[in-house]
Amino acid sequence: MGHLSNDEFFTKLVELFDSRKGKDHGHIFLTQKRLSYDQPPLPEPTSDTILPDLHPPRPLPVLIRATNGKGKENRAKKIKLSTVVDPEALPAFFERYADVCKAGMTTLKPRDRSKRKTKAKKKKTTTGAVGA
Amino acid sequence: MPHYAKSEEWLRESQRLLEARPTTTRITTKYSIKTPKVRKPKPTDAAAEPTTTTAAAAKPARGCLALKTYDPVSGVTLKYRTSKAAEVSRLILCLGKLSRPMAGLPELKDEIMADAPANEEGTPAAEKSEAAATTTSAAPAAQQQPTPAAGGGGKGKKKKGKK
Repeated sequence: MGHLSNDEFFTKLVELFDSRKGKDHGHIFLTQKRLSYDQPPLPEPTSDTILPDLHPPRPLPVLIRATNGKGKENRAKKIKLSTVVDPEALPAFFERYADVCKAGMTTLKPRDRSKRKTKAKKKKTTTGAVGA
Repeated sequence: MPHYAKSEEWLRESQRLLEARPTTTRITTKYSIKTPKVRKPKPTDAAAEPTTTTAAAAKPARGCLALKTYDPVSGVTLKYRTSKAAEVSRLILCLGKLSRPMAGLPELKDEIMADAPANEEGTPAAEKSEAAATTTSAAPAAQQQPTPAAGGGGKGKKKKGKK
């Protein structure tokens, strides 16, 4: 499957998160790595730069993948998304990515304020220590 | 395969790994939803049994978020795990920070530091540029530092890392 554009990736990612909403099991995997395929070749290693990938002549794009982790017998249900983010688009992409993930990851523990309140009522000194 | 208790430590070590091996290192974020385990009620309090089971049934599914930085070539795996919703956006922005060395861009902090307190720390900045030039040898060496020591002097080191 080819790579999606960043916008398409986000709409599909929202769908992927929505598909797990209200369910009591499942996984979503998000992966990121440097895109090293179909890129202009790096300069040959010299005595100065033994590993030419440490300082590439120009920034490389980053590959982002998302999957629901289905495979083997559930191959038909597998959802695989991928997109390539250009280096200059990285900050904007990750801001949007954070929003989508925050909205999608609904089963994580919300910040528990009620507990803190009862604790504060019980022992004022300890909460002071915690706060500091 | 270290598990870090603090996301800052995970971020710092991942940054080091990415600087040393930017081509092969990948970061996987696993968001998993699990059915909460139903605890067996104690046999002694039989009266409380019905209430505990209903409470367990009503308990919503609990998710958990696991971050893993993995380099298949050197076999280094760095992990961090959380279940707090409050951490999500910060962690994703950490991923964004880590995407900079991945893309081969210079660290953003250095740019900010370069024009902010230039008078205050002229020498450390100069040292840093030197260090950046010799990352080839410096990064893997730094990675081999024993982690327990880093954990002991956590606060001081963290501040150093931020500068």
